[in-house]
Amino acid sequence: MRASRHLPAIVAMLLAAGGGAARAAAPGEWVSYRDAYRAMVVFEKYGKPKNFIQNHFQVMPREKGVRLDGVQLSLQGKTLHVNLPLDATGRTVFPFLKAAYDENAVLVLNRKVAQYVFRARISITVQAAGLYETAHLRAACEQVLAWKRQMDLSAAARKCIGVRFAFTGKEREPEVRLRRGAAGETVLPAVTGAAFSDDPNATLRVVNYRFADGPDAGQVVMTDAPLSIAALIE
Amino acid sequence: MHKILVLVLAGACSAAAAQTPANNPMPDGSRDTYVGLGVASAPVYEGSAQRRVRALPVVQAAWSNGVFISGLSAGMHLSSGPSLEYGPLLAIQPRRSESGLAGDVGIVEDGSDLTMIADPGLIRTFRDMSADGHRLTGMDVQRARLLAGGFLNYYLSPQVRLTNSVLVGSGNEGNGAVWRTGLQHVSARLARHHFLSVGVGVTLANRKHNQAYFGVSPEESMLSMNPEYAAEGGLKDVHANARWNWAFNPSWLLTTGVQATRLRGSAADSPLTERPTNLTVSTAIAYRF
Repeated sequence: MRASRHLPAIVAMLLAAGGGAARAAAPGEWVSYRDAYRAMVVFEKYGKPKNFIQNHFQVMPREKGVRLDGVQLSLQGKTLHVNLPLDATGRTVFPFLKAAYDENAVLVLNRKVAQYVFRARISITVQAAGLYETAHLRAACEQVLAWKRQMDLSAAARKCIGVRFAFTGKEREPEVRLRRGAAGETVLPAVTGAAFSDDPNATLRVVNYRFADGPDAGQVVMTDAPLSIAALIE
Repeated sequence: MHKILVLVLAGACSAAAAQTPANNPMPDGSRDTYVGLGVASAPVYEGSAQRRVRALPVVQAAWSNGVFISGLSAGMHLSSGPSLEYGPLLAIQPRRSESGLAGDVGIVEDGSDLTMIADPGLIRTFRDMSADGHRLTGMDVQRARLLAGGFLNYYLSPQVRLTNSVLVGSGNEGNGAVWRTGLQHVSARLARHHFLSVGVGVTLANRKHNQAYFGVSPEESMLSMNPEYAAEGGLKDVHANARWNWAFNPSWLLTTGVQATRLRGSAADSPLTERPTNLTVSTAIAYRF
């Protein structure tokens, strides 16, 4: 018998399996943990200097107007359920769990996942003391750039120009000062913007420190800890 | 966000055409496996004008030590960096008999009884009139072969990679070699849980490979209706492919692929080649565990 005579039966079987699979899908909005794991673990295995930078799993609105308020993310598998609290920028510490991988667990969002982007987000580590040596900020930006160059050939021609501190600004206006040593202090202005350049919602108070404006050996000080510190690269 | 796994349907394309899956780091002792079943419509053999529809298994597995199985290929990722993938590669070149590639599923009518007619032009006229005929009748069977080689992929960006694979050992003499190189966009998000990967590339083959699969020896010419043909090495084909994956849930997905191949050079000029442009279409349900 020719194989083509089996085609209708095979197609019917596939359609039945596909339909059944679709009906069996979890009602929640999910992202594969395994896919997220492979995107996130690359930074863990990254061998170049990364002492000033960190990696988070980020849930970011895909379009302007989509809010993060009330968005909850959890890791769900056959035997585990872990809530992953998001900060105001949508970031959370990604849990590297063998059990979750082996169970083919999912990251479940209480919103439509189509409205959000799920990504690894590299940022500069926040210091609890609120004091940053300008040399360290330059080094941190260079570490972010080196990471980007490792991941994307098109970043080869880009360069670091500064860093961006992001604050909620809800309680009070952020105060960020640049200490220039004997030259005194300068207050860096705060404006309304986004924590990261590709975030469509510009609702935070942000302060940019551009390396060209500061001394090689100085300090950036602030009273409140920022939500995030992003490298400014162009 | 991620490099999507490119499922390779076992048997949907030749071993030399198989793409290596992207590196898949995972916890020690873990694995990521897909199995499934689908259908494919493909040429009976490379260059055939006839098509065959058959059931196809889907097999892809990756282990934490870097070893992977992908359709008819197996290999090992040795690289640790995110932008470079390399390692050894093994592949099975399917058997090509008079009925085509690995012809255990489905039957294609033999060309005709006109094997003793010596005028190739006349033979071609008869063959073109025969809807079920093709030109492997009387040709040597090319046995299934285990090919060995390696792969080297380089990411120009997180989504775009240059792919290279070299496999040696094709043909009955085991001295054929194929180098396949291309550019692949590994993942484009179409909609929620819908992903598309596309690629273009070329295949280069040495003379031994092309002679095995596209040449006609004096003995084969006597037994078949094909004129003697000495194939040369060089560019064998150019190809483009696309694969669409639709994940119903974390465990089940529908994977659908299409590949267009245009034979070039000696392969295109071969008397075995009835149609230089071939299209392979496949779809399958796969279970991830």
